[in-house]
Amino acid sequence: MSDYAHLAGHRFPGGTYTLPPWLSWLWADAAKLEPDWAVAHQGLAYLVALRGAGVSIQDIFDLMDATADSGVVFGEFQVDYHGVLRPGATYECEADVVEVERKSGKRAGVFDKFTFQVKVREAGAEGLTLVCTNSWIFPRVEGE
Amino acid sequence: MATREVQVGQQLAPFVIESVDPEPMKTMAAILQDPNPIHFDPASTQALGMGDKTVNQGPTNVTWLTEFVQRFAGGPDRLVTIKIRFLGNVFSGDRFECTGTVTAVHAEAGTAELEVGATSDGRPALGGTAVIKIRD
Repeated sequence: MSDYAHLAGHRFPGGTYTLPPWLSWLWADAAKLEPDWAVAHQGLAYLVALRGAGVSIQDIFDLMDATADSGVVFGEFQVDYHGVLRPGATYECEADVVEVERKSGKRAGVFDKFTFQVKVREAGAEGLTLVCTNSWIFPRVEGE
Repeated sequence: MATREVQVGQQLAPFVIESVDPEPMKTMAAILQDPNPIHFDPASTQALGMGDKTVNQGPTNVTWLTEFVQRFAGGPDRLVTIKIRFLGNVFSGDRFECTGTVTAVHAEAGTAELEVGATSDGRPALGGTAVIKIRD
């Protein structure tokens, strides 16, 4: 089985993402919560981080030699908030791979835990708005 | 500077979605640009042996747990950290319930730590921890 630990430190393109007010409104509405035109729901951190990272789910699958049929699942998700997300605001994002750990468990078998982090800053602001850390689980089988 | 009264062992007011609605999953699939049909086509979950109900998106479940925490905290600006583990799928029609407990209070720092989680029709769906501000 290939080892993917060398991907630690890999830098994603990053870039900017402007959070559309209509999308912020629909996100809250789809979650059966009260939409607010002035403040986006903090749950949107995942979307802002992923879009701003300049990387698609398929890009990450390619990096890890996985496909849509590989049984990839979410592992852990952490957001450290330093401010609130605002509809219409533009966010500058930097993203990189934190680590890739090979693990095994009785039920899960062998898998790689792929962890990447996105630092999100509102354009023009001095400090970060949030830091989003995601871990995805890539199941592995002998011979991969 | 006012500090909110929060005690270790205090239970958070439950947050409940009585029946997860399959219709908004279609909107969320479009927003997320997530092409996986398990979120909008029951035939696909059936074909995968997952039953005949669609699967709610993980980001929606995260949004509910985040909402649960920030309601207790007193607003979105009081949320410091949320860390979530994904433990199981949430299906349309499920009863989704968030519960939580205060596990630590740091009066000097003006923060409190919470243990939080969510079940879906009684099955574990999410587990995690959060840190909130308790000082204005």
